[in-house]
Amino acid sequence: MTPFLQATVYGLLQGGLLALVAVGFSLVWGVMNVVNLAHGALAITGAYFSWQLHESLGLDPVLSLVVVLPVMFMVGYVIQRGLINLVVNAPIWMTLLLTFGLEALIVNGLLLAFTGDFRSTRTGYSTNTLALGGVRIPYARLIAFGLSLLLTVALVLFIRNTKMGLAIRATGMDRTAARLMGMNVRHVYAVTFGTATALAAAAGSMIGLVGTFTPVVAGGYTLQSFVIAVLGGLGNMWGALAGGLVLGLATAWGALYLSGTLVNAIAFGILVLVLIVRPSGLLGKPYYEARAEA
Amino acid sequence: MAATSARPGMPESESESAHPELGAPTTGPPKAAPAGRTTASQLAGWALVLGLLVICLLAPKLFIPSFLRTLSAVFMFATLAQAWNIIGGFTGYPSFGNVVFFGLGGYTIAVLMARSHWSFWPALVVAVVLGAAYAMLIGIPTLRLKGHYFAIATLGVAEGTREIVLNVPKVTGGGAGITVPAVGPSATTSYPGNTGFLYYFLALLVVAMLAVYAIARSRFGFALRAINQDEDAAAAAGINTTRMKIAAFMVSGAITAAAGSIYAFQQVSIYPDRLFSVDITVLMVIMAVIGGSGTVIGPLVGGVGLQFLSEYLRQNFTDYHTFIFGAIIIVAVVLLPEGAVRFASETVRQRRLPIMDNLRRYRL
Amino acid sequence: MTAALETRDLSVRFGGLKAVDGISVTVEDGRVLGVIGPNGAGKSTFINLITGQIRPTRGKVLVGGRDLTGAKPWKIAAARVARTFQINKPFRGLSVRDNVAIGAMFGAPGGGSVAKARGVADEVLERLGLSGVAELGPTELSVAHAQRLEVAKALALRPRVLFLDEAMAGLRPAEMEPQLELIRELRREGLAIVVVEHVMRAIRSVCDTVLVMQEGRELLTGPPDEVLADERVITAYLGQRYAERQRAERAEAGGSGPAVADQVGPRPEGETRAPG
Repeated sequence: MTPFLQATVYGLLQGGLLALVAVGFSLVWGVMNVVNLAHGALAITGAYFSWQLHESLGLDPVLSLVVVLPVMFMVGYVIQRGLINLVVNAPIWMTLLLTFGLEALIVNGLLLAFTGDFRSTRTGYSTNTLALGGVRIPYARLIAFGLSLLLTVALVLFIRNTKMGLAIRATGMDRTAARLMGMNVRHVYAVTFGTATALAAAAGSMIGLVGTFTPVVAGGYTLQSFVIAVLGGLGNMWGALAGGLVLGLATAWGALYLSGTLVNAIAFGILVLVLIVRPSGLLGKPYYEARAEA
Repeated sequence: MAATSARPGMPESESESAHPELGAPTTGPPKAAPAGRTTASQLAGWALVLGLLVICLLAPKLFIPSFLRTLSAVFMFATLAQAWNIIGGFTGYPSFGNVVFFGLGGYTIAVLMARSHWSFWPALVVAVVLGAAYAMLIGIPTLRLKGHYFAIATLGVAEGTREIVLNVPKVTGGGAGITVPAVGPSATTSYPGNTGFLYYFLALLVVAMLAVYAIARSRFGFALRAINQDEDAAAAAGINTTRMKIAAFMVSGAITAAAGSIYAFQQVSIYPDRLFSVDITVLMVIMAVIGGSGTVIGPLVGGVGLQFLSEYLRQNFTDYHTFIFGAIIIVAVVLLPEGAVRFASETVRQRRLPIMDNLRRYRL
Repeated sequence: MTAALETRDLSVRFGGLKAVDGISVTVEDGRVLGVIGPNGAGKSTFINLITGQIRPTRGKVLVGGRDLTGAKPWKIAAARVARTFQINKPFRGLSVRDNVAIGAMFGAPGGGSVAKARGVADEVLERLGLSGVAELGPTELSVAHAQRLEVAKALALRPRVLFLDEAMAGLRPAEMEPQLELIRELRREGLAIVVVEHVMRAIRSVCDTVLVMQEGRELLTGPPDEVLADERVITAYLGQRYAERQRAERAEAGGSGPAVADQVGPRPEGETRAPG
């Protein structure tokens, strides 16, 4: 029982963190129809950012978010406004290729700057665990999970209750109508992307807290974000959380009963199955039907 | 609610020639070109092709062995890009998992030659057939999806297939890879060497080019383009869209599998990570798109150009080459979203460089 | 003689919404059925059910006696049923000629090579007066030409049954007459035609029978003049109070007052709207 329970707890905790990685990806895809292949790379950039702050200033990763969030928001804003906006109206694979190029740029930039060595942001409490009924929970994981939940909820509140959130939703539904209503769509898109980047970077910081990372793992996180976004429905925040938990659990249980490498195959199997059976995801609306675009 | 096309952002005015000749794009309505000029440029085009072909055939006499290897890679990637072009460019279904056929082809060769002691050529036939069959198998569920969804589904299938190959070591050697018997007593077919592989890849490239050229001017090509431009209208006009899409995918898969087969033989030792690498998929997509997807020579231009560029960067900027390559891709995508070939023909047609046109057309 | 087209109790539900509910019609060769109704009545959905874009949840579709319920669009095309789309769907990357040739290549009985299909296309374009624009791209056409291209694409299939979904939309009254004349010609040639329209003039001038749909159901079926004067139809389009006012005015004026046709749709040139 205990290995199963341990795996379940681990799966949920990891799932929450993955949800934070994916929620921005899902938002950008749902609102702007942009599939950002560089998303994982941006997350890992956040990891390195926090790591560097920890190395140079001894700043705790959780506290470093105060710096990481706004800075990465601005980075995302500029990337969207300056680069991705240039191909938003082009056929789909343009943004795919553009963001692929961006990913290559970022990952290799990080490799050049930091080398491919595995890094981790080791804090004083990194190795402490909480023992709860036979299950060991590292404090770091708990903190990461809590923060992920917090930020996801904050995002939902932002989208639901603020004027900018409303603007984002409206623009996502009908860009032309939004423009006619006087919204500066370029700005709205840039804010959306900036938010997504900031959250991804925050998730990256947490990744550094709970484990190791190198630039090369960026692609894996992008792929997992795909799966989660599709599972949860594009642009659906709660869906991303649900999807993250599902993926986290499936991966954890899979690792328990199957050989390690088959676990990825499971993730993809789920993905393909969902796409074929219910492309709108577990919680979402059919994407291509739901969007009204002139 | 406005009817949405599954591919938003389709450019408004496509005024390119519909003559599926070598130099011109195959989408777009025909222009009224003076008859004499067309024939002259056609002749010029064919002359160029013949000239290049002759150079390639003489390559072993002209170039050093390492350049021959580079040339082989160029031919291979051009073939992959051209194969992708059939399903991604003409039909408009951007497959991000075509490498699965590459890997399947390669592993078929390796397994048949290493484990069952087949010789190369019969194994190649099997590999091609398997490539087509697998395309049909995964095409039936995935070709129901559109756009991003299709891209991701095919990506998922490719990754999943890699995992499967990784996990049946008894057959495929798993993570340790598998080695094709190329030398010594267990070799079933003598190893062709640099020159041999150059010709094999060249032959395959010629086959791929002919296939695309034939498709472009055939009924099949029209059907694919119609599906690309408006699938509902195509179905209403009597096109069995399901059958056509699957057929396109099968042709694409067969050619890609052939490329993978020759590659596996050339490399001798292969691993899942290499044969099913996502990078190969993305490279073939980039080459096709930047060259000009949906055209006949676009993927050739893209494949040749980008592969040589990649080689050059790799040799001269070893540390930074991927970084630079990424930057170049970004610039190319932004400035040439329609691809180099269409850009070139627009330049000739308008007698100016329409760089800003593309930017203005596609940006928000 | 089996009817060219017959639907029996044709219905589709989307979740709780009955978009089309129990529509049964028969269209013989050489007859024109008009389908009218307020927006959202289910007219286009009805066509989509017959031509295979949507699967019906109940009912049957018979073409020349053959059961083609729920068949794929290309099977329907092979059965010589052609349609236009309410929002025109041209192949934007192909010339006008090639747009039409597609139907001849794949939908017409016997198919055809590219060259042969282009020949057929030229004939169709000639008939529709589009020969002059054969080389252009569809996006370069005027509204009138674009509407005719949509019809040309359908005619290239050499259909037995033809659906025209708001083929008059966007046309000026002067542009409508050639379109109407075409429909009359096709009717004389023996096609069974279904015309979905908002333009009552078109309905009145070419239809043999009119089906009025409301909220997915059949409200009334009958000859155009009867249907367009029927109070229920006026109510459906213009509301109860208007219908009552009409009834009152007609009673005063002695029986011959304005019908729906005169209130809905563009005016024929030269006429002024009746007061009231």
